[in-house]
Amino acid sequence: MGQVTAGVGGAAPCLRILVVEDEVLIALELECLLEDLGHVTVGVAGSSQEAIALGLSTHPDVALVDIHLIDGPTGVAVARALSADPRTTVVFMTANAKRIPDDFAGAVGVIAKPYSERVVAGALRYVAECRAGHAASLEGLDGFRLAADGWERLHP
Amino acid sequence: MTDTAHQAVPAALAQTTLASAFSESPTPMVLTEVRGGAHPIVWANAAFLALTGYAWHELEGRNCRMLQGPLTDRETVARISAAVAEGRSFEAELVNYRKDGTSFWNGMTLSPVRDATGAVTHYYSAQADMTGKHSLEVAMTLANIDLERRVSEQTADLRATLEQKTALLHEVDHRVKNNLQVISSLMLLKARRTPEGEARDALNGMAERIGALSTVHRMLYSAGDVTRFDLREFADDFLGDLVAGLDGERTAVSAAIDSVAVSAAMAAPLALMLHELATNAVRHAFPDNRAGRVSITARRRDGALHMLIEDDGVGLAAAIPNPAGFGRSLVEMVVRQLRGTIAWSETTPGTRVEISVPLDAISLREAADTTAEELPQWAK
Repeated sequence: MGQVTAGVGGAAPCLRILVVEDEVLIALELECLLEDLGHVTVGVAGSSQEAIALGLSTHPDVALVDIHLIDGPTGVAVARALSADPRTTVVFMTANAKRIPDDFAGAVGVIAKPYSERVVAGALRYVAECRAGHAASLEGLDGFRLAADGWERLHP
Repeated sequence: MTDTAHQAVPAALAQTTLASAFSESPTPMVLTEVRGGAHPIVWANAAFLALTGYAWHELEGRNCRMLQGPLTDRETVARISAAVAEGRSFEAELVNYRKDGTSFWNGMTLSPVRDATGAVTHYYSAQADMTGKHSLEVAMTLANIDLERRVSEQTADLRATLEQKTALLHEVDHRVKNNLQVISSLMLLKARRTPEGEARDALNGMAERIGALSTVHRMLYSAGDVTRFDLREFADDFLGDLVAGLDGERTAVSAAIDSVAVSAAMAAPLALMLHELATNAVRHAFPDNRAGRVSITARRRDGALHMLIEDDGVGLAAAIPNPAGFGRSLVEMVVRQLRGTIAWSETTPGTRVEISVPLDAISLREAADTTAEELPQWAK
């Protein structure tokens, strides 16, 4: 157990984030949290079609993707589609991590639901630091798991 | 029948007693003479006639090949012929046919009979009807095949049922996690829309308690062992959250928690208790930017969990009574539920809370490594 460096807010770089979540209460609260953390929510999608369309029109920095959407367990396909755009980093955010395929469908990792605000903040800070080419640590972020090739994806 | 045994028979017995014993034996017997390799039957007892269904005059002078038929194994016949040609004894099981055409499994022994010069003059054979044994073997083989088929069918059924149940368990686990997230989001949403003050603090406090229970659920159902939960793993996670929420560097939190595996039944109450005590200490012991430290230890000793939470803050009497009051009674309720004891005391300065909780049978089942590892300073 190392030093915990994560904190809410702070000088984390601002990210443009697409929220793919069919549960409106969770989506709404997540939007508020992202705003508190200094990020911008570019859209909220509840279905795979919406998510892919919003991905094409907004080119988000990060997409937070639930596995179960209105049209079924289509989050995996959404992750594959959104991660095809090199500008977008996909992170799963799900209570159903068992449905994530071995290759993570192009996503860099998964935030386990139920999540705490600290883990969301820490995971986004990690992604932002990696995207900016800075060194970043995952220590103390038990609720965030990196994909096998997540680090490579974040450092192309 | 060895030469020594043969020689041991007194001469007087040979003709009368032996002949009558063999003739009347229930074991079918037959004697053939070598006679240049033709091997005609020269004697057979009544049991042999009964087994084969032939009368003596139908057998006399014939070769035993007359008993063979289409289902007789040619290879076995060839081996018998080879043994007889070499003057060896032999045992075999062979399909033979009765006079009426019905077949039977004939288990036979063949042994050469020698004269004074050692030359083989006759062959003696005793028989046994092995049909019963053979049909039993066939029945056994069929029964085994049937049994194997049924076992594999049942195994497939069980596997399918297990897969179904596993899928159901995953579905329920997913639902519970999702619902906990929704409940927590609801609380936080309402808190955001509530003006700053007691009500908002209460909503945030509830969201945190739900968060603590959510962490327990996540840890229980992700480790694969749904029956047990590691208190230290929880403490690491939870204290990380707690410290992240602190502002400034004025509060230092240190923790030494044994890696204690507790049962699922104890996990949620213990987690809630740890959450209340640590949160209370951090939030209420240091008002007005007072600096201080909180130390938390949890050790397993003599089948019980001993926890000690100390702070050097303002003490119980001085703390704002209302929110801490709820936390305190929550802790007392949980300790009572766990059949433990709790002692609050004022230290100068600060508060000391000592709790002992007996571990249940499931928690005691595995005496896990109980050495406490000093955690780093929980300071921001």
